[in-house]
Amino acid sequence: MASEPLRVVCYVNQFFGQLGGEEKAGVGPQVTDGAVGAARAVQQALGDAGTVVATVICGDNYAAERGERAVAEMLALVRAARPDLVIAGPAFLAGRYGVACGALCAAVQAQLKIPAVTGMQAENPGVELYRRQVHVVATGAEATRMLAEVTRLVALGLKLARGEALGTPAAEGYFARGVTRNVVAGASAADRATAMLLDKLAGRPFASEVPRPAFPGVPAPRLIKPLAGATIALVTDGGLVPQGNPDGIEALNATRYGAYSIEGKASLEAAQYDNPHRGYDTSWVKQDPHRLVPVDVARELEQRGAIGKLHETVYSTVGVATTLAHSARMGQEIADKLRAAGVDAVILTST
Amino acid sequence: MRLELRWSEVDELVAGSPTRLAGKRLAVDLDALRTLLAGDARLTGLRLDLVHPGERCRVGRVFDVVAPRARLEGEDFPGVLGGVARAGDGATLALAGVAVVATDQQTDSVGTLAVIDMAGPNAALSAFGATHNLVISAWPAPGTERPDYLAAVRLAALKAAVALARAAREAEPDRVEVLALPPSPRVPVELAHLPRVAYVFQIHSHQRPTGLDEGILYGDPVRRMLPTIVHPNEVLDGAVLRGFMGRSVTTWATQNHPVIRALYARHGRALWFAGVVVTVAQATEPERVRSALLTAGLVAHALGADGAVFTKIGGGAPHVDMAQAAAQCEALGVRTTLLVEDMSTDGSAEGMLLFDFPGVDALVNVGSSHEPLTLPPMDRVVGADDLAPRLLGESRATYGTLCGAIEQVGATRIMAEVR
Repeated sequence: MASEPLRVVCYVNQFFGQLGGEEKAGVGPQVTDGAVGAARAVQQALGDAGTVVATVICGDNYAAERGERAVAEMLALVRAARPDLVIAGPAFLAGRYGVACGALCAAVQAQLKIPAVTGMQAENPGVELYRRQVHVVATGAEATRMLAEVTRLVALGLKLARGEALGTPAAEGYFARGVTRNVVAGASAADRATAMLLDKLAGRPFASEVPRPAFPGVPAPRLIKPLAGATIALVTDGGLVPQGNPDGIEALNATRYGAYSIEGKASLEAAQYDNPHRGYDTSWVKQDPHRLVPVDVARELEQRGAIGKLHETVYSTVGVATTLAHSARMGQEIADKLRAAGVDAVILTST
Repeated sequence: MRLELRWSEVDELVAGSPTRLAGKRLAVDLDALRTLLAGDARLTGLRLDLVHPGERCRVGRVFDVVAPRARLEGEDFPGVLGGVARAGDGATLALAGVAVVATDQQTDSVGTLAVIDMAGPNAALSAFGATHNLVISAWPAPGTERPDYLAAVRLAALKAAVALARAAREAEPDRVEVLALPPSPRVPVELAHLPRVAYVFQIHSHQRPTGLDEGILYGDPVRRMLPTIVHPNEVLDGAVLRGFMGRSVTTWATQNHPVIRALYARHGRALWFAGVVVTVAQATEPERVRSALLTAGLVAHALGADGAVFTKIGGGAPHVDMAQAAAQCEALGVRTTLLVEDMSTDGSAEGMLLFDFPGVDALVNVGSSHEPLTLPPMDRVVGADDLAPRLLGESRATYGTLCGAIEQVGATRIMAEVR
């Protein structure tokens, strides 16, 4: 069955849009009907499968300097052309151009819900910035093999636009997006594990199916003042919250944390606290919150002068199935607040 | 130990009296079975439904799935249904193509329960979309606490599994699967060159403490269990049951344990199957360290294994618990592979794994239970009348919601691929 020709909109910079070189890099977004400049190669690669209905052109400096505003302006031009697919670039090794291609594709996908594809050389900063969100086809550094490179972009774009299943990054020629997708393998996980173990035992090469995490090591900073003069805060990812969970911290996959005052409290009264954490047996903590957040002992240390002061705010979240992105953000926010409050050290209780 | 699984294929499941297997047609006397199961005072309003592959039907509120098995002599599901007696030696009747599905009619948080699709694209993703299923729905009798209700529901499923399999008593089995493994040290000289491989099977996670009636190993709720060696046949023959926390694991998968099968399949050829160590995921760090230490000792020193396969049950803590035990094995020179679940909740490859230990570098994954999935419209909902309006229509779910799609013990071919 022959499918309807797709409406394709291309995005190119001032150079590939044939407006001029660096002297035209400040030109704002404009649109021309049909294929212009490098977009002609896209039309050639598309053949009967699609029509380049419009080419959006924008100067590299304009895009780089105005950032989100430039993207919003280009997005309006793209939307007006009602495309089924957007092809940006390829940008090869051109940095400003690559970043703009990535930003536009990401916006087209997110806001217009239209598939988009771009292409760049591995060193282009746009790859690292956008490969997680956008399919970025690997190209050479220069436009010497324009038609061949564009043909690969178009092939991937057509699959995206038709909703066809994509192969692996290696098979399709795009940069790994660092996302996971469930697929049906050739053998059960039990069989694969046994075969992998036999390879490992025999010293044969094997391919682990899970990348090792690149968690950066975090050296514990040295406390630069005597403990007796330091302000200590209590922080936990064990899920202690006041009754009613006022911040609505999720039972798993948390995106929120709470800041709870312990001002005037020598200890925590179990009846006033709850725990939504779904990753461990919380009954012991509910019975006695100090098992997780040792306010009682910390107050004694404060009284005795062993520590300078106990910070009057406890920070708490639920650490189970939390994404790295949210963990990093919440950690940064809590650290910023502690630092602003003059806290010197933290006792972080995890579960 | 030598276990004979006498398999009878079933390709038709019908209501009929008496319960009997004729050829590949299994008739079940539903009234008699209902009477048998309804004898439990903890249950009320017991209902049985039959659902079939290809039928546009969705089973909801799925709690666990049990494979029909009945020992010719001895105790069935010892310690839970039958008395404590050794499993794994002798002959056991087994039905292929049929499963018993237990539902949970009590919990309000149905998000933790699963569904089974008998038709459509999701049927192909789960073993239970291809089996004829006897679905048990039973409600708690007034005053029944939740742990007692779940124990009763599971017991009903085990009783039903035995009742169905007993229908094959007079039948000539279609095939006999022989699982024989001599005591671990007795390796014939001509096979002594084979690498010795153990399986470390985490059978429960103390993230959620077991109830008194939540028998997992020969009926023991494994509350204080330290790593223990069992014969693989005991696992296949009903000595190990799933607890009541059912995240991506079924009793059915344990009865048909894919890792044990995979090791048996290569036993005497590519490897020597040295034995099984059962462990529990511990709740606190000192317990975890102790358990990892003892596990590695059993694997390396008692079983004398050169390599070990590991699986886990539950979420993040069990995942790390398993890896700590594997790291201890690697430190003793035992090479390891681990079956891990993709732990990322946002589909990012960076979040797949929660550990990074030296030598623990050979990882197979059983897929992402968080990946979205569409449940297409169906004509009938079974096991979840109260949810029928929602479950009949198209809805969004996840792989984790589809019972049998992701099995932590590695029963399926689903894997998360990094794209």
